[in-house]
Amino acid sequence: MSILFSGRVTSGASARKIGLARRFVMFWVNHLRQALFSLGELWRTPSASFLTIGVLGVSLTLPATLHLLVKNVQQVSDSFTQAAEISLFIRDGSTPTQISSLQKILQADNDIARVTHISKQQALSEFATVSGFGAALNYLHDNPLPDVLLVLPKNTSADSARQLLARLSKERIVEFGKLDIDWLTRLDAIVSLLRQAVLVIAVLLLGAVLLIIGNTIRLSIMNKKDEIEVMKLVGATDAFIQRPFLYSGIWYGVFGGLLAFLIVEAMLWWLQGAIVSVTSLYGSEFSLMALSVSEFFSLMLLAMLLGLSGSYLSVRRHISAIEPTGP
Amino acid sequence: MLEFDQVSKSYPGGFVALDRVSFKLEKGEMAFLTGHSGAGKSTLLKLISLIERPSVGRVLINDVDLSRIRRPHIPYVRRDIGIIFQNHRLLMNHTVFDNVALPLVIEGFSGKDMVKRVHAALDKVGLLDKVRCLPHTLSGGEQQRVGIARAVVNKPPLLLADEPTGNLDPDLSKDIMRVFEAFNQVGVSVLVATHDLGLVARMKYRTLTLKQGRMINDGLLQYQEDPL
Repeated sequence: MSILFSGRVTSGASARKIGLARRFVMFWVNHLRQALFSLGELWRTPSASFLTIGVLGVSLTLPATLHLLVKNVQQVSDSFTQAAEISLFIRDGSTPTQISSLQKILQADNDIARVTHISKQQALSEFATVSGFGAALNYLHDNPLPDVLLVLPKNTSADSARQLLARLSKERIVEFGKLDIDWLTRLDAIVSLLRQAVLVIAVLLLGAVLLIIGNTIRLSIMNKKDEIEVMKLVGATDAFIQRPFLYSGIWYGVFGGLLAFLIVEAMLWWLQGAIVSVTSLYGSEFSLMALSVSEFFSLMLLAMLLGLSGSYLSVRRHISAIEPTGP
Repeated sequence: MLEFDQVSKSYPGGFVALDRVSFKLEKGEMAFLTGHSGAGKSTLLKLISLIERPSVGRVLINDVDLSRIRRPHIPYVRRDIGIIFQNHRLLMNHTVFDNVALPLVIEGFSGKDMVKRVHAALDKVGLLDKVRCLPHTLSGGEQQRVGIARAVVNKPPLLLADEPTGNLDPDLSKDIMRVFEAFNQVGVSVLVATHDLGLVARMKYRTLTLKQGRMINDGLLQYQEDPL
Protein backbone atom coordinates (compact mmCIF):
# COMPACT_ATOMS: atom_id res chain seq x y z
CA MET A 1 0.00 0.00 0.00
CA SER A 2 1.45 3.31 -0.98
CA ILE A 3 -0.15 6.49 0.24
CA LEU A 4 1.99 8.96 -1.64
CA PHE A 5 2.38 7.24 -4.97
CA SER A 6 -0.76 5.68 -6.30
CA GLY A 7 0.02 2.72 -8.52
CA ARG A 8 3.36 2.04 -6.90
CA VAL A 9 3.43 -1.66 -6.13
CA THR A 10 4.96 -2.17 -2.73
CA SER A 11 3.55 -5.28 -1.19
CA GLY A 12 5.36 -8.50 -1.93
CA ALA A 13 2.13 -10.42 -2.00
CA SER A 14 0.24 -8.16 -4.38
CA ALA A 15 3.29 -7.82 -6.61
CA ARG A 16 3.04 -11.41 -7.65
CA LYS A 17 -0.75 -11.56 -7.78
CA ILE A 18 -0.97 -14.70 -5.69
CA GLY A 19 -4.25 -16.28 -4.81
CA LEU A 20 -6.21 -15.82 -1.63
CA ALA A 21 -5.64 -19.38 -0.45
CA ARG A 22 -1.90 -19.07 -0.88
CA ARG A 23 -1.91 -15.73 0.87
CA PHE A 24 -3.78 -17.37 3.76
CA VAL A 25 -1.17 -20.09 3.95
CA MET A 26 1.62 -17.52 3.75
CA PHE A 27 0.02 -15.61 6.64
CA TRP A 28 0.35 -18.64 8.90
CA VAL A 29 3.78 -19.53 7.56
CA ASN A 30 4.94 -16.00 8.39
CA HIS A 31 3.51 -16.26 11.88
CA LEU A 32 5.18 -19.60 12.41
CA ARG A 33 8.44 -18.16 11.18
CA GLN A 34 8.17 -15.25 13.59
CA ALA A 35 7.26 -17.58 16.45
CA LEU A 36 10.35 -19.67 15.77
CA PHE A 37 12.42 -16.51 15.46
CA SER A 38 11.25 -15.41 18.90
CA LEU A 39 12.12 -18.82 20.26
CA GLY A 40 15.59 -18.38 18.79
CA GLU A 41 15.84 -14.97 20.47
CA LEU A 42 15.14 -16.59 23.85
CA TRP A 43 17.78 -19.19 23.05
CA ARG A 44 20.35 -16.51 22.23
CA THR A 45 20.07 -15.01 25.72
CA PRO A 46 19.91 -18.25 27.71
CA SER A 47 20.76 -17.00 31.19
CA ALA A 48 18.19 -14.20 31.18
CA SER A 49 15.54 -16.44 29.65
CA PHE A 50 16.15 -19.25 32.13
CA LEU A 51 15.90 -16.86 35.05
CA THR A 52 12.61 -15.46 33.81
CA ILE A 53 11.22 -18.90 33.03
CA GLY A 54 12.33 -20.12 36.46
CA VAL A 55 10.53 -17.28 38.22
CA LEU A 56 7.42 -17.91 36.13
CA GLY A 57 7.57 -21.63 36.78
CA VAL A 58 7.74 -21.16 40.54
CA SER A 59 5.02 -18.53 40.48
CA LEU A 60 2.74 -20.86 38.54
CA THR A 61 3.64 -23.85 40.69
CA LEU A 62 2.09 -22.33 43.79
CA PRO A 63 -1.44 -21.90 42.41
CA ALA A 64 -1.24 -25.32 40.75
CA THR A 65 -0.18 -26.94 44.03
CA LEU A 66 -2.89 -25.17 45.98
CA HIS A 67 -5.42 -26.29 43.40
CA LEU A 68 -4.27 -29.89 43.88
CA LEU A 69 -4.46 -29.49 47.63
CA VAL A 70 -8.08 -28.32 47.43
CA LYS A 71 -8.89 -31.09 44.99
CA ASN A 72 -7.48 -33.76 47.27
CA VAL A 73 -9.06 -32.37 50.42
CA GLN A 74 -12.35 -32.31 48.55
CA GLN A 75 -11.88 -35.94 47.63
CA VAL A 76 -11.34 -36.75 51.31
CA SER A 77 -14.41 -34.82 52.39
CA ASP A 78 -16.50 -36.43 49.65
CA SER A 79 -15.60 -39.85 50.99
CA PHE A 80 -17.06 -38.72 54.29
CA THR A 81 -20.61 -38.23 53.04
CA GLN A 82 -21.44 -41.62 54.55
CA ALA A 83 -20.81 -39.99 57.88
CA ALA A 84 -24.32 -38.61 57.62
CA GLU A 85 -25.36 -41.85 59.23
CA ILE A 86 -27.98 -41.76 61.97
CA SER A 87 -27.44 -43.84 65.07
CA LEU A 88 -30.69 -44.75 66.82
CA PHE A 89 -30.10 -45.88 70.39
CA ILE A 90 -32.80 -48.31 71.44
CA ARG A 91 -34.50 -47.92 74.81
CA ASP A 92 -33.24 -50.39 77.40
CA GLY A 93 -35.71 -53.22 77.91
CA SER A 94 -37.04 -53.36 74.34
CA THR A 95 -37.54 -56.92 73.17
CA PRO A 96 -35.65 -58.29 70.15
CA THR A 97 -38.98 -58.66 68.30
CA GLN A 98 -39.73 -54.96 68.76
CA ILE A 99 -36.27 -54.10 67.45
CA SER A 100 -36.44 -56.36 64.41
CA SER A 101 -39.96 -55.11 63.53
CA LEU A 102 -38.72 -51.51 63.74
CA GLN A 103 -35.79 -52.49 61.55
CA LYS A 104 -38.23 -53.95 59.00
CA ILE A 105 -40.41 -50.83 59.07
CA LEU A 106 -37.41 -48.60 58.55
CA GLN A 107 -36.08 -50.74 55.72
CA ALA A 108 -39.39 -50.20 53.94
CA ASP A 109 -39.07 -46.44 54.38
CA ASN A 110 -38.52 -44.52 51.14
CA ASP A 111 -36.05 -42.07 52.67
CA ILE A 112 -33.77 -44.75 54.01
CA ALA A 113 -31.11 -46.58 52.07
CA ARG A 114 -29.93 -49.10 54.58
CA VAL A 115 -30.53 -50.14 58.19
CA THR A 116 -28.01 -52.14 60.17
CA HIS A 117 -28.64 -53.57 63.57
CA ILE A 118 -25.78 -53.71 66.05
CA SER A 119 -26.85 -55.75 69.03
CA LYS A 120 -25.65 -55.13 72.59
CA GLN A 121 -23.35 -58.18 72.41
CA GLN A 122 -21.80 -57.16 69.08
CA ALA A 123 -21.24 -53.65 70.38
CA LEU A 124 -19.57 -54.95 73.55
CA SER A 125 -17.24 -57.34 71.74
CA GLU A 126 -16.32 -54.69 69.21
CA PHE A 127 -15.67 -52.22 72.00
CA ALA A 128 -13.56 -54.81 73.83
CA THR A 129 -11.31 -55.40 70.81
CA VAL A 130 -11.04 -51.78 69.63
CA SER A 131 -10.68 -50.03 72.99
CA GLY A 132 -8.18 -52.42 74.51
CA PHE A 133 -10.16 -52.65 77.75
CA GLY A 134 -10.83 -56.38 77.04
CA ALA A 135 -9.86 -57.73 80.41
CA ALA A 136 -11.39 -54.88 82.39
CA LEU A 137 -14.76 -55.34 80.69
CA ASN A 138 -14.97 -58.83 82.08
CA TYR A 139 -15.59 -57.31 85.51
CA LEU A 140 -18.88 -55.79 84.37
CA HIS A 141 -21.91 -57.65 85.64
CA ASP A 142 -24.15 -56.68 82.77
CA ASN A 143 -23.72 -55.10 79.36
CA PRO A 144 -24.13 -51.30 79.66
CA LEU A 145 -24.33 -50.75 75.93
CA PRO A 146 -27.68 -50.29 74.16
CA ASP A 147 -28.81 -51.87 70.91
CA VAL A 148 -28.15 -49.54 67.99
CA LEU A 149 -29.80 -49.23 64.61
CA LEU A 150 -27.54 -47.53 62.06
CA VAL A 151 -29.68 -45.73 59.50
CA LEU A 152 -28.15 -44.50 56.25
CA PRO A 153 -30.44 -41.91 54.63
CA LYS A 154 -30.88 -41.98 50.86
CA ASN A 155 -30.30 -38.25 50.74
CA THR A 156 -27.06 -37.65 52.62
CA SER A 157 -27.29 -33.85 52.69
CA ALA A 158 -27.16 -32.36 56.16
CA ASP A 159 -30.66 -30.84 56.14
CA SER A 160 -32.61 -33.89 55.01
CA ALA A 161 -30.59 -36.11 57.36
CA ARG A 162 -31.55 -33.78 60.18
CA GLN A 163 -35.26 -34.00 59.25
CA LEU A 164 -35.07 -37.77 59.12
CA LEU A 165 -33.41 -37.79 62.53
CA ALA A 166 -36.26 -35.71 64.01
CA ARG A 167 -38.81 -38.13 62.58
CA LEU A 168 -37.03 -41.30 63.72
CA SER A 169 -36.43 -39.97 67.23
CA LYS A 170 -40.20 -40.05 67.73
CA GLU A 171 -40.29 -43.87 67.41
CA ARG A 172 -41.47 -45.41 70.65
CA ILE A 173 -38.58 -47.73 71.39
CA VAL A 174 -35.92 -45.18 70.36
CA GLU A 175 -34.24 -43.60 73.36
CA PHE A 176 -32.60 -40.91 71.25
CA GLY A 177 -31.06 -40.53 67.83
CA LYS A 178 -27.73 -39.03 67.00
CA LEU A 179 -26.56 -37.54 63.77
CA ASP A 180 -22.86 -36.73 63.69
CA ILE A 181 -23.13 -34.03 61.12
CA ASP A 182 -21.70 -30.97 62.83
CA TRP A 183 -18.13 -31.85 62.09
CA LEU A 184 -19.10 -32.53 58.47
CA THR A 185 -20.53 -29.04 58.07
CA ARG A 186 -17.41 -27.71 59.75
CA LEU A 187 -15.24 -29.64 57.29
CA ASP A 188 -17.30 -28.30 54.41
CA ALA A 189 -16.87 -24.78 55.73
CA ILE A 190 -13.13 -25.27 56.08
CA VAL A 191 -12.85 -26.67 52.57
CA SER A 192 -14.75 -23.73 51.12
CA LEU A 193 -12.62 -21.32 53.15
CA LEU A 194 -9.54 -23.06 51.78
CA ARG A 195 -10.87 -22.77 48.28
CA GLN A 196 -11.50 -19.04 48.67
CA ALA A 197 -8.03 -18.53 50.10
CA VAL A 198 -6.51 -20.48 47.24
CA LEU A 199 -8.44 -18.35 44.77
CA VAL A 200 -7.13 -15.13 46.31
CA ILE A 201 -3.55 -16.40 46.42
CA ALA A 202 -3.82 -17.72 42.87
CA VAL A 203 -5.08 -14.36 41.59
CA LEU A 204 -2.21 -12.58 43.32
CA LEU A 205 0.38 -14.98 41.94
CA LEU A 206 -1.04 -14.85 38.43
CA GLY A 207 -0.92 -11.07 38.70
CA ALA A 208 2.73 -11.42 39.62
CA VAL A 209 3.29 -13.58 36.54
CA LEU A 210 1.68 -10.89 34.40
CA LEU A 211 3.96 -8.22 35.85
CA ILE A 212 7.08 -10.37 35.54
CA ILE A 213 6.43 -11.07 31.88
CA GLY A 214 5.53 -7.44 31.25
CA ASN A 215 8.76 -6.29 32.84
CA THR A 216 10.90 -8.85 31.01
CA ILE A 217 9.42 -7.79 27.71
CA ARG A 218 9.93 -4.14 28.63
CA LEU A 219 13.61 -4.82 29.25
CA SER A 220 14.04 -6.60 25.94
CA ILE A 221 12.26 -3.73 24.18
CA MET A 222 14.69 -1.30 25.82
CA ASN A 223 17.61 -3.51 24.75
CA LYS A 224 16.43 -3.34 21.17
CA LYS A 225 15.62 0.34 21.16
CA ASP A 226 18.08 1.08 18.35
CA GLU A 227 16.82 -1.78 16.26
CA ILE A 228 13.22 -0.66 16.75
CA GLU A 229 14.12 2.88 15.70
CA VAL A 230 15.73 1.59 12.53
CA MET A 231 12.72 -0.57 11.78
CA LYS A 232 10.41 2.40 12.25
CA LEU A 233 12.59 4.49 9.94
CA VAL A 234 12.35 1.95 7.15
CA GLY A 235 8.58 1.81 7.49
CA ALA A 236 7.68 -0.92 9.94
CA THR A 237 4.28 -0.56 11.58
CA ASP A 238 3.94 -0.92 15.35
CA ALA A 239 2.06 -4.17 14.77
CA PHE A 240 4.99 -5.60 12.83
CA ILE A 241 7.51 -4.55 15.47
CA GLN A 242 5.51 -5.85 18.39
CA ARG A 243 4.79 -9.29 16.97
CA PRO A 244 8.11 -10.94 17.97
CA PHE A 245 7.72 -9.56 21.49
CA LEU A 246 4.22 -10.99 21.76
CA TYR A 247 5.56 -14.34 20.65
CA SER A 248 8.33 -14.11 23.25
CA GLY A 249 5.63 -13.56 25.87
CA ILE A 250 3.79 -16.66 24.69
CA TRP A 251 7.00 -18.68 24.77
CA TYR A 252 7.72 -17.52 28.30
CA GLY A 253 4.22 -18.69 29.20
CA VAL A 254 4.72 -22.07 27.55
CA PHE A 255 8.02 -22.75 29.26
CA GLY A 256 6.88 -21.35 32.59
CA GLY A 257 3.78 -23.56 32.45
CA LEU A 258 5.82 -26.64 31.54
CA LEU A 259 8.26 -25.94 34.36
CA ALA A 260 5.39 -25.52 36.81
CA PHE A 261 3.92 -28.83 35.65
CA LEU A 262 7.25 -30.60 36.11
CA ILE A 263 7.73 -29.11 39.58
CA VAL A 264 4.23 -30.20 40.62
CA GLU A 265 4.82 -33.72 39.28
CA ALA A 266 8.16 -33.96 41.08
CA MET A 267 6.56 -32.73 44.28
CA LEU A 268 3.77 -35.31 44.02
CA TRP A 269 6.29 -38.06 43.41
CA TRP A 270 8.26 -36.89 46.42
CA LEU A 271 5.22 -36.71 48.69
CA GLN A 272 3.58 -39.91 47.49
CA GLY A 273 5.54 -42.18 49.84
CA ALA A 274 4.96 -40.00 52.88
CA ILE A 275 1.25 -39.69 52.16
CA VAL A 276 0.80 -43.42 51.64
CA SER A 277 2.33 -44.14 55.04
CA VAL A 278 0.06 -41.55 56.70
CA THR A 279 -3.12 -42.76 55.01
CA SER A 280 -2.33 -46.42 55.68
CA LEU A 281 -2.21 -45.55 59.39
CA TYR A 282 -5.77 -44.24 59.10
CA GLY A 283 -6.86 -47.27 57.11
CA SER A 284 -8.09 -44.95 54.38
CA GLU A 285 -8.11 -45.72 50.70
CA PHE A 286 -6.98 -42.23 49.90
CA SER A 287 -4.80 -41.92 46.83
CA LEU A 288 -3.13 -38.67 45.87
CA MET A 289 -4.64 -37.18 42.72
CA ALA A 290 -2.25 -35.65 40.19
CA LEU A 291 -3.08 -33.07 37.52
CA SER A 292 -5.43 -34.48 34.94
CA VAL A 293 -4.82 -34.00 31.21
CA SER A 294 -7.46 -31.28 30.99
CA GLU A 295 -5.95 -29.55 34.00
CA PHE A 296 -2.53 -29.71 32.39
CA PHE A 297 -3.89 -28.08 29.25
CA SER A 298 -5.72 -25.43 31.28
CA LEU A 299 -2.48 -24.68 33.08
CA MET A 300 -0.64 -24.31 29.77
CA LEU A 301 -3.40 -22.22 28.26
CA LEU A 302 -3.51 -19.97 31.29
CA ALA A 303 0.27 -19.57 31.24
CA MET A 304 0.25 -18.72 27.52
CA LEU A 305 -2.59 -16.23 27.94
CA LEU A 306 -0.76 -14.59 30.83
CA GLY A 307 2.39 -14.45 28.72
CA LEU A 308 0.55 -12.92 25.81
CA SER A 309 -1.34 -10.35 27.85
CA GLY A 310 1.71 -9.46 29.94
CA SER A 311 3.77 -8.76 26.87
CA TYR A 312 0.85 -6.99 25.18
CA LEU A 313 0.53 -4.56 28.09
CA SER A 314 4.24 -3.86 27.90
CA VAL A 315 4.45 -3.69 24.13
CA ARG A 316 1.53 -1.28 23.81
CA ARG A 317 3.09 1.18 26.18
CA HIS A 318 6.70 1.02 25.11
CA ILE A 319 6.85 0.38 21.38
CA SER A 320 4.78 3.38 20.41
CA ALA A 321 6.86 5.45 22.84
CA ILE A 322 10.06 4.72 20.91
CA GLU A 323 10.31 7.23 18.10
CA PRO A 324 13.29 7.67 15.85
CA THR A 325 15.05 10.89 16.77
CA GLY A 326 16.83 11.64 13.54
CA PRO A 327 18.03 10.34 10.24
CA MET B 1 7.97 15.25 -6.31
CA LEU B 2 9.07 17.06 -3.14
CA GLU B 3 7.89 20.52 -2.27
CA PHE B 4 8.48 22.76 0.74
CA ASP B 5 6.03 25.64 0.96
CA GLN B 6 7.01 28.39 3.42
CA VAL B 7 8.00 25.83 6.02
CA SER B 8 9.12 26.94 9.47
CA LYS B 9 10.05 24.76 12.37
CA SER B 10 10.68 26.02 15.86
CA TYR B 11 11.45 23.83 18.81
CA PRO B 12 10.13 24.32 22.33
CA GLY B 13 12.29 26.98 23.93
CA GLY B 14 12.10 29.24 20.90
CA PHE B 15 14.92 27.88 18.78
CA VAL B 16 14.03 28.37 15.13
CA ALA B 17 15.54 25.53 13.10
CA LEU B 18 13.92 26.38 9.77
CA ASP B 19 12.65 29.78 8.74
CA ARG B 20 10.19 30.03 5.82
CA VAL B 21 11.95 27.54 3.58
CA SER B 22 10.50 26.95 0.12
CA PHE B 23 11.86 24.81 -2.65
CA LYS B 24 10.77 22.19 -5.08
CA LEU B 25 12.54 19.03 -6.15
CA GLU B 26 11.28 17.64 -9.45
CA LYS B 27 10.79 14.01 -10.25
CA GLY B 28 14.11 12.46 -11.19
CA GLU B 29 16.09 15.46 -9.99
CA MET B 30 19.19 15.22 -7.85
CA ALA B 31 20.17 17.98 -5.42
CA PHE B 32 22.53 18.66 -2.54
CA LEU B 33 21.58 20.23 0.73
CA THR B 34 24.45 21.98 2.42
CA GLY B 35 25.11 24.19 5.38
CA HIS B 36 26.98 24.21 8.66
CA SER B 37 25.89 21.87 11.35
CA GLY B 38 22.94 23.45 13.09
CA ALA B 39 21.86 25.19 9.91
CA GLY B 40 18.74 23.06 9.70
CA LYS B 41 19.71 20.26 7.32
CA SER B 42 18.72 17.50 9.73
CA THR B 43 15.48 19.22 10.62
CA LEU B 44 14.59 19.49 6.95
CA LEU B 45 15.17 15.77 6.45
CA LYS B 46 13.22 14.99 9.61
CA LEU B 47 10.24 16.89 8.23
CA ILE B 48 10.33 14.81 5.05
CA SER B 49 10.60 11.50 6.88
CA LEU B 50 7.85 12.58 9.32
CA ILE B 51 10.05 12.34 12.37
CA GLU B 52 9.09 15.96 13.04
CA ARG B 53 6.14 18.05 11.92
CA PRO B 54 6.50 21.63 10.65
CA SER B 55 5.34 24.47 12.90
CA VAL B 56 4.13 26.48 9.93
CA GLY B 57 3.87 25.71 6.22
CA ARG B 58 3.38 22.62 4.17
CA VAL B 59 5.60 19.76 3.06
CA LEU B 60 4.28 17.92 0.02
CA ILE B 61 5.47 14.72 -1.56
CA ASN B 62 3.91 13.94 -4.93
CA ASP B 63 1.29 16.64 -4.16
CA VAL B 64 0.24 14.87 -0.95
CA ASP B 65 0.32 17.20 2.05
CA LEU B 66 2.24 15.36 4.78
CA SER B 67 0.25 17.14 7.50
CA ARG B 68 -2.72 15.04 6.35
CA ILE B 69 -0.86 11.82 7.19
CA ARG B 70 -2.02 10.50 10.52
CA ARG B 71 0.29 8.64 12.86
CA PRO B 72 -0.77 5.08 11.93
CA HIS B 73 -0.01 5.84 8.28
CA ILE B 74 3.49 7.21 8.83
CA PRO B 75 5.16 3.80 8.26
CA TYR B 76 3.56 3.57 4.82
CA VAL B 77 4.92 7.00 3.89
CA ARG B 78 8.40 6.01 5.03
CA ARG B 79 8.28 2.98 2.74
CA ASP B 80 8.14 5.38 -0.19
CA ILE B 81 11.28 7.18 0.95
CA GLY B 82 14.68 5.57 1.05
CA ILE B 83 16.72 7.07 3.87
CA ILE B 84 20.48 6.78 4.25
CA PHE B 85 21.96 7.66 7.60
CA GLN B 86 25.31 9.13 8.50
CA ASN B 87 26.03 6.41 11.06
CA HIS B 88 24.59 3.67 8.78
CA ARG B 89 22.19 2.47 11.49
CA LEU B 90 22.62 -1.14 10.50
CA LEU B 91 21.47 -3.97 12.71
CA MET B 92 24.86 -5.11 13.92
CA ASN B 93 23.91 -8.63 14.96
CA HIS B 94 22.27 -9.45 11.63
CA THR B 95 23.97 -10.30 8.36
CA VAL B 96 24.24 -7.92 5.45
CA PHE B 97 21.51 -9.87 3.73
CA ASP B 98 19.12 -9.51 6.67
CA ASN B 99 19.84 -5.80 6.90
CA VAL B 100 19.12 -5.17 3.26
CA ALA B 101 16.09 -7.46 3.29
CA LEU B 102 14.49 -5.66 6.26
CA PRO B 103 12.35 -3.21 4.23
CA LEU B 104 11.17 -6.10 2.04
CA VAL B 105 10.29 -8.29 5.01
CA ILE B 106 8.31 -5.39 6.44
CA GLU B 107 6.38 -5.10 3.20
CA GLY B 108 5.62 -8.81 3.12
CA PHE B 109 8.05 -10.08 0.53
CA SER B 110 9.38 -13.57 0.95
CA GLY B 111 11.21 -16.36 -0.79
CA LYS B 112 12.88 -16.05 -4.16
CA ASP B 113 11.40 -12.65 -4.93
CA MET B 114 13.05 -11.19 -1.84
CA VAL B 115 16.41 -12.85 -2.47
CA LYS B 116 16.41 -11.57 -6.04
CA ARG B 117 15.79 -7.99 -5.00
CA VAL B 118 18.34 -8.07 -2.19
CA HIS B 119 20.99 -9.43 -4.52
CA ALA B 120 20.13 -6.81 -7.13
CA ALA B 121 20.48 -4.02 -4.56
CA LEU B 122 23.77 -5.36 -3.23
CA ASP B 123 25.03 -5.77 -6.77
CA LYS B 124 24.36 -2.10 -7.51
CA VAL B 125 26.54 -1.04 -4.58
CA GLY B 126 29.16 -3.69 -5.41
CA LEU B 127 28.83 -5.80 -2.28
CA LEU B 128 27.36 -8.99 -3.65
CA ASP B 129 30.26 -11.00 -2.24
CA LYS B 130 29.57 -9.77 1.32
CA VAL B 131 26.01 -11.09 1.58
CA ARG B 132 26.70 -13.41 4.51
CA CYS B 133 28.98 -11.06 6.45
CA LEU B 134 28.12 -9.29 9.66
CA PRO B 135 28.28 -5.50 9.37
CA HIS B 136 31.11 -5.03 11.87
CA THR B 137 33.44 -7.09 9.67
CA LEU B 138 33.03 -4.51 6.90
CA SER B 139 34.86 -1.22 6.44
CA GLY B 140 33.12 2.13 6.99
CA GLY B 141 32.59 2.65 3.28
CA GLU B 142 31.16 -0.83 2.86
CA GLN B 143 28.81 -0.35 5.79
CA GLN B 144 27.60 2.87 4.23
CA ARG B 145 26.97 1.05 0.97
CA VAL B 146 24.98 -1.61 2.80
CA GLY B 147 22.90 1.26 4.18
CA ILE B 148 22.37 2.51 0.63
CA ALA B 149 21.38 -0.95 -0.57
CA ARG B 150 18.82 -1.13 2.22
CA ALA B 151 17.43 2.27 1.28
CA VAL B 152 16.97 1.39 -2.39
CA VAL B 153 15.99 -2.26 -2.15
CA ASN B 154 12.28 -1.57 -2.41
CA LYS B 155 12.85 0.94 -5.23
CA PRO B 156 11.55 4.09 -3.53
CA PRO B 157 10.84 7.06 -5.83
CA LEU B 158 12.61 9.40 -3.40
CA LEU B 159 16.01 8.94 -1.79
CA LEU B 160 17.25 11.00 1.16
CA ALA B 161 20.80 10.85 2.45
CA ASP B 162 22.06 12.52 5.61
CA GLU B 163 25.82 13.08 5.54
CA PRO B 164 26.39 9.79 3.69
CA THR B 165 30.09 10.57 3.31
CA GLY B 166 30.49 12.00 6.81
CA ASN B 167 33.40 9.87 7.93
CA LEU B 168 34.77 8.53 4.66
CA ASP B 169 37.91 9.52 2.80
CA PRO B 170 37.53 11.49 -0.47
CA ASP B 171 37.89 8.51 -2.80
CA LEU B 172 35.23 6.50 -0.97
CA SER B 173 33.01 9.60 -0.87
CA LYS B 174 33.27 9.89 -4.61
CA ASP B 175 32.31 6.23 -4.99
CA ILE B 176 29.26 6.73 -2.82
CA MET B 177 28.22 9.77 -4.85
CA ARG B 178 28.58 7.75 -8.05
CA VAL B 179 26.13 5.26 -6.61
CA PHE B 180 23.63 8.06 -5.97
CA GLU B 181 24.14 9.37 -9.50
CA ALA B 182 23.43 5.91 -10.86
CA PHE B 183 20.12 5.78 -9.02
CA ASN B 184 19.28 9.28 -10.17
CA GLN B 185 19.84 8.23 -13.75
CA VAL B 186 17.12 5.59 -13.47
CA GLY B 187 14.59 8.22 -12.38
CA VAL B 188 14.88 8.34 -8.62
CA SER B 189 14.75 11.79 -6.98
CA VAL B 190 17.77 12.18 -4.72
CA LEU B 191 18.41 14.73 -1.97
CA VAL B 192 21.80 14.51 -0.29
CA ALA B 193 22.58 16.53 2.81
CA THR B 194 26.30 17.05 3.19
CA HIS B 195 28.83 19.62 4.34
CA ASP B 196 31.51 18.29 2.01
CA LEU B 197 31.51 21.42 -0.17
CA GLY B 198 34.41 20.34 -2.31
CA LEU B 199 32.57 17.25 -3.38
CA VAL B 200 29.37 19.22 -3.98
CA ALA B 201 31.12 21.72 -6.19
CA ARG B 202 32.78 19.03 -8.26
CA MET B 203 29.54 17.15 -8.83
CA LYS B 204 27.76 20.10 -10.56
CA TYR B 205 24.28 19.47 -9.24
CA ARG B 206 21.68 21.85 -7.93
CA THR B 207 22.61 22.86 -4.39
CA LEU B 208 20.35 24.15 -1.66
CA THR B 209 22.25 25.98 1.05
CA LEU B 210 20.85 26.61 4.50
CA LYS B 211 22.18 29.13 6.96
CA GLN B 212 20.61 29.50 10.37
CA GLY B 213 17.41 27.99 9.12
CA ARG B 214 17.13 30.11 5.99
CA MET B 215 17.59 29.05 2.40
CA ILE B 216 20.37 31.34 1.17
CA ASN B 217 21.25 29.66 -2.10
CA ASP B 218 19.42 27.55 -4.61
CA GLY B 219 21.35 26.56 -7.69
CA LEU B 220 24.83 25.56 -8.72
CA LEU B 221 27.45 26.12 -6.07
CA GLN B 222 30.82 27.52 -7.03
CA TYR B 223 33.51 26.13 -4.82
CA GLN B 224 35.68 29.21 -5.06
CA GLU B 225 33.09 31.62 -3.69
CA ASP B 226 32.04 29.90 -0.50
CA PRO B 227 28.73 31.52 0.43
CA LEU B 228 28.91 30.46 4.05
